[in-house]
This record gives sequence, C-alpha cells and structure tokens, in this order.
Amino acid sequence: MTQIRYHKVGRRSWEWRLKPTGVEERNRARLPGSKRHWLKWRDVHNPKTLKRERILVDKKPLWWTLGLSALVAVTPFLPNSMISVVSIFCIYAAINVLWTLIVGTAGIFSLATLAIVGAAGYVAAAANVYLGVPWPFMLLIGPLAGLIFGAILAAPSTRLDGLYYALLTMGVAEICRVFVTQLRALTQSGGAITNVDSFIPKDWFLQRPGLLLGFAGAFLLLLGALLVWRLVNSERLGMLLRVAKTSREDEAFAEAIGIDFRRARLMVFVISSAALGVVGAFYAMYFRSISPQIFSLDQLLLLFAMMVIGGLGRAEGAVLGAAVVTLIDKGLIELGPPRIILVAVIMIVVTIFAREGLTGIREQFRDFRKRKSGERRALRTEKGGEAMPEEATEIHDKQELYYRRFNKRLRDRLKKLISPELIEEHRLDPLGHHSDALARVLNHFRRAEMADKYVIHRMVPSEERFRVMAVSGQRGMPPRVVDDREYTEIREAYHAVFLLRVNDLLES
Amino acid sequence: MDLGLIVYALNLGAIYALMAVGISILWSSVGIINMSHGATFAVSGYAAWLVTGAVKPLVAATFGKTVLASTLMAGTLVASALITGALCGVIIYLLAFLPIHDKPNFQVRALIITLGLNIASVQGLLWMFGPRNRGLPKIFGFGRWEVWGTKIRFDQAGTIVGAAVIMGLTLAWLRYSRRGLEVRAMMQNAEGAAYSGISRQVTALPVLMLTGALAGMAAALLSQTIFVSPTAGVIPLVKGLTIALLGGLGSVPGALIGALLVGFLEAIVGAIPYLGQRYVLFATFLFIIAVLIIRPRGIGGLLDDTRE
Repeated sequence: MTQIRYHKVGRRSWEWRLKPTGVEERNRARLPGSKRHWLKWRDVHNPKTLKRERILVDKKPLWWTLGLSALVAVTPFLPNSMISVVSIFCIYAAINVLWTLIVGTAGIFSLATLAIVGAAGYVAAAANVYLGVPWPFMLLIGPLAGLIFGAILAAPSTRLDGLYYALLTMGVAEICRVFVTQLRALTQSGGAITNVDSFIPKDWFLQRPGLLLGFAGAFLLLLGALLVWRLVNSERLGMLLRVAKTSREDEAFAEAIGIDFRRARLMVFVISSAALGVVGAFYAMYFRSISPQIFSLDQLLLLFAMMVIGGLGRAEGAVLGAAVVTLIDKGLIELGPPRIILVAVIMIVVTIFAREGLTGIREQFRDFRKRKSGERRALRTEKGGEAMPEEATEIHDKQELYYRRFNKRLRDRLKKLISPELIEEHRLDPLGHHSDALARVLNHFRRAEMADKYVIHRMVPSEERFRVMAVSGQRGMPPRVVDDREYTEIREAYHAVFLLRVNDLLES
Repeated sequence: MDLGLIVYALNLGAIYALMAVGISILWSSVGIINMSHGATFAVSGYAAWLVTGAVKPLVAATFGKTVLASTLMAGTLVASALITGALCGVIIYLLAFLPIHDKPNFQVRALIITLGLNIASVQGLLWMFGPRNRGLPKIFGFGRWEVWGTKIRFDQAGTIVGAAVIMGLTLAWLRYSRRGLEVRAMMQNAEGAAYSGISRQVTALPVLMLTGALAGMAAALLSQTIFVSPTAGVIPLVKGLTIALLGGLGSVPGALIGALLVGFLEAIVGAIPYLGQRYVLFATFLFIIAVLIIRPRGIGGLLDDTRE
C-alpha cells in the first residue's frame, strides 16, 4: 500500500501556537499602572480538531527584546573602537526614533531635527561651561531649550505644505550653523564649545570604563526614546493622529468628527523636540564638546539616509537603518569616502526596490506573493468553479468546497455527452421519451439555480408568439428578455431554451 | 545704490535664476524635487575643467593666441558643461524617474533617490579629484569696462548676458515648440495632460535634460567668478531650492522674480558695512522664511491670485 503524500497548504502550520490544557488559569499580568497586557496573546481554536490554541498576535516585542538584549550582552566584549561605534549607534538611533515620531506619527516632514539637537546641546553646554551649572542640570536645560526651539519651529508647519516645510527647516539648520560659527565668543575654537562636564569622569574619558559608561548612558537614551515613541503612539495623541494619517480626505474626516489634528501634530512635534533636547544635552556630554558640525547638511543627510534605509515612519526602521549606516560609516572608517558612496548606493537601491525600506520588505513580499498567486489562479482555465487550495484555506464552510467540486465534475462529464446527434434528437422531440444521455443533460438543466434560469414567455395571451426570458432570481425583480427572437411554435421555443443552456454549459 | 552694486546683484540673480528655474520646472512638470541639482552643477564644472584642460594645448598649438582661440575655448567650456549637465539629467531620469514613476510614494522616493545621487556624486568627486579647488579658464578674459564711472568686470557682464540668453532660449522653447507645449501642459495639470495623450515618460526626459543643462550652464558661468570644488554644488542647491520655494514651486516667473529679489538682497546686505558678507546667508533665509510664513505659496501664489 502506497503512502499518500499530503502537501501543507495555507500558513497554519508555520505559525507558532501554544496548546494550553485548560486546567490552569490564564496569566493575565498587566503593565503596572495601566490596563495594558505585556504581550498580545489571543485565544483561538483549531477549526478542525476544535482544540484550544493560543497565539501571539504581535510578535514585535519579542524581536525588540531579543535585539536590544543582544546589544547589551555583546557590547562589553567588543574592542574599544567598536564600543564607541555602538554608543554612537545608540545616540543616532535615539535621534532617529524621535524624528520618526515627527515624520511618521505627526506627518510633518521636518528636516530640522539635528538643528533642534544641536541648539539644545549648545544651550546646555554653554550653561555648563559659562554659567557653571553642574552636569545633571544639563539634562533639564536641554529639553527646555528643545521645547522652546521646537515650539518656534512648529508654528509655521500648520501653514505650509509638506515639502515647503521640509525645505524651510533645511534653511533653519543652515541658519543655525552660520549663526554659531559667527558668534564672537566661540571664534577661536571654530564655533565649538569644549570642556563640557559629563557623567563620565574626566580621567575615564576615552578609557575603557568611560566608554562602557558612555555606552550604558547611550543605551538608556535609546530606551528612553523608544519609550517616548511608544507612549505617544499608543496613547490618546497617537490614536487621534492615526485617524488623520494618510490623505487629505482623512484629514477632512478627522476634522468632521471633531479631532483637532493640527493641534495634535503640534503637540507631538513639541514633545519630540523636548526629547531631542535631552539627546542634545547628552550628545554634548558624551563627546565633552559640541561643534557646528552637527548642523551640517552632510550629517543631516546621513541621518536621513538611516531612516530611509530602515523605512520612513517606523521605529524599527529607524533603529535598523541607524545600525546599517553607523556600521558602514564608523565601522569601515578606513575605507575613506567610498563608504559614504556605499551608503548612498544602498539608499538608492533600497528606495528603488522597496516601498517602505528594509523593514517593509516582508509586507511588500507578502503582497507580491498574494498578487502572483492570484494571477496564477486566474490563469488556470481548467478551474471551472472548483476552489483551488490557496482559496480553499480561506473558505470556512468546507461543505461548499465539496459542492463546488461535485458540480465541476458533473459538468465535465455532461460536456462530453453533448453532440450534434443529441441536439438533433432534442430538436425533433423536445418533450417525448429521450435517450439516456439527453435525459441526464436535461436533468442537470432542471436542477439549475433560479437566478438566470430561462423561461418561455407567451407574448400575447391569444396568439402563438413566444420569446425566451431569464428570471432574475430575486423577488420583485422582473425577468429580463434574453434576445429579440420570436417563435411561433412552442416546440421551437423549447429547443431555443435548450440550445441556450447547452451553450452556457459548454462555456462554464 | 551705485551701478556696481546693481551689476553684482544681477550677477547673483542670474546664477540663482538658472538654478531655481530648473528646479521649479522639474517639480511642476515631472514632480521630482531634484536634490541632485547641486551634484549636476559640480559634475558639470569638473567635466568642463577636464575637457578644457585637455583641449587647451591643442587649441593653443593650432590657433595661438588669437580671438578665434579664446572663442573656441569658451565654446568648448560652455558646450562641455551643457552636455554633461544634460547627461546627468539622463542618469536622474533612469534612476529616479523611470523605475518608480508609477509606484506609490513617487515624490518622496524620487526626492530620496536624487538625494542619494547627490551624496554619491559629491563623495565620488571628492574621492577622484580630492578636495582642492580647480580654476577654469576665464572665457570672458580679465578686464573691466568703465561705465559712468563704475568698473564692471567682464566676467560679471558675461554671466549676466549668458544667463539671460540661456533663460530666453529656454522660455522661448517652452513657449513656441511642440515639446514645450507638452511640458507646459504637464506643468498646468499632469493628469489632464496624460488624458490628452501626452506621455509622462517621453516628456520627462527632455525636461530632465533641460534642467540638467541649466545647472551645467550655471556651473560654467559661476566658475568664471569662483573655483570648482566637489562641494561647490551645495550652496547653489540650497539657494536654488529656497528660491524656487520663494517663487512658489512650479512658477517660472515667480522663480525669476525670487532670484532677482534674493540677488539684490544679498548684494545690499553684503554692502552694508555693519552687517557685511558674513550675514548674507542668514539674511536670505530669514527673508525667505518671512515671505513663506506670510504667503505660504510664495511669489507664484501671489501672481496667481492677482491673475484670478
């Protein structure tokens, strides 16, 4: 006896499912201080065996935890130069996540992110160096400066269209750079503020413990940025903005149901500006200095490249893109200028081929596969109403599948019976005794559904004039006339209906 | 205000107009914000430098130091810059327009690709030629004219005249040629143009070549005043973009007026002794931001309103 090989169809078998016994109670731990659960578990059942199953609907938290804990676990064993690369990655990733908040959640295409970071960094560093404020207060002064600067920048964003605003903010960055380099007090250092006090003790600076401490700080910064992102996106502000996200119509809809999305956007902008201020103060502390380099167009473009490579408007994209670009830019520093070319080439290739960066590839591939399988399904002309395996997994009522399959096979068999002799037999005697083949065909026709069933209509009650109509199958909807031919004999009309049905059968 | 200042302002305005009009036409007809306009500028400058460097001994050997020789050199310089600019336009067409022009997010993606092209070509130039400045041959020669007591340098006059001629030719092409009609139709309403049988794919190529050539012309003219370097394109790009914005992206007369305004503004701010050259960029951006906050659609929006 040969073993039949079954092919796995659908995506059930690939998904990881828990199989709870139902004896112990479900653990429904919540995030302290909120109504949220830690993970998005959903209870489902196997439609075939009806057994309980539990699936994790949102697997992103797992990936985040894995990635970030791998970063923490690996970094202490890296050489010194790589530790600073990882720290810089964390800082850039934090900036990018906050920038994503502005571009993605608020939908404001701003290029002034680094300008905010730089301005806040300068204010905090100046307060430390010239006013003697101790370093912990820099982390308060930074966000305050960022908040004020962000509020000033955000004001025109409601008046200007997307790209206009982007170019305007680019101008703001340029103004900041020129302004700082023109400052009289900073001319001898080329516009930089040096000797900033830091959370890294002075004699540890650029030593291994100092680097590790710097990494710890940068990692906390990244976690903080992700927390801000999560809080804004999952709370009221993010929900309001999701209504008015994609198009003009959505904006109009949001306005109509009373959502002041402009105000919500400004709020997000200001919040992330304040957070960027923290990053600015941290930046000044981490490098113990801050220079006009931070306002330069190159730096801005590099950060933009990170977001674009990862995927514009997604937090995971911002972090992944930062990882890729920082690794190339700082890790392969001995390559010289070609490494920037490499970044640019990656950016171009990703943009041409991927709709939403590296993190969107999975979704894009799924869409592509779905489209292709749909095309293939449409190509299979032999299908004849029978459900294909891909489609069958989506149909809940399995009875329907077997009904379709039975019908298809029946039609195939009947099609073989149709021959000129059979048609001739019907023409000669539409009603009388029929051969076996004709009787089978006619029986199939009689069982057809009401919708579009053909009927004969006597046009005037007293006259022998007939025509063929098709009933609608719906109550109250009159039958439609099939063609304009008239028959003077009822037998002719019978045969005409038969021919129409044979035609339909052969075409199906 | 003396004549020298006006000439200087016109000189700046001419260069800016070449950049801004190119960006403006490209945006309104094809829908690309061309961030690699600066790269086109720098690459054309370098190409002109290479070609003139190669041709110079040849010309000097055949014609000596005649008027014909200098005319020939000028022709070579302008032609090489123009052709390279147009070729850069073709590259942008192949990378940033053709593969994605019917895909979602076309505008943002085109912006990103042109940005990538800009970064790649600037770094490529830096890698191949180093950061040194290169001087191109002075096609207008050295010297000044005396006009009503003020001295006008030849290169300034040449730049103004050259830019005016090129701009005139471009506008005439847009106004009177069949292709120009198609481009203008696309500028007015891209969808409507497509319905009346104007192909986007076919029309985009000449537009990109034309705007590339305009950037090349700007490079050839500006190289008479300053040197060519890999990062030379950044300032013209930023200025061109902001002036196109000031003119209300997509409006050619708006961009022209904006370029002249900014040229005069810069000349005047540079001439005020208390402010000086250091605050020129500062003042320009402040001016543009102020205009945009008052009139969000720039000068072009103003012109449209008055027409209506």
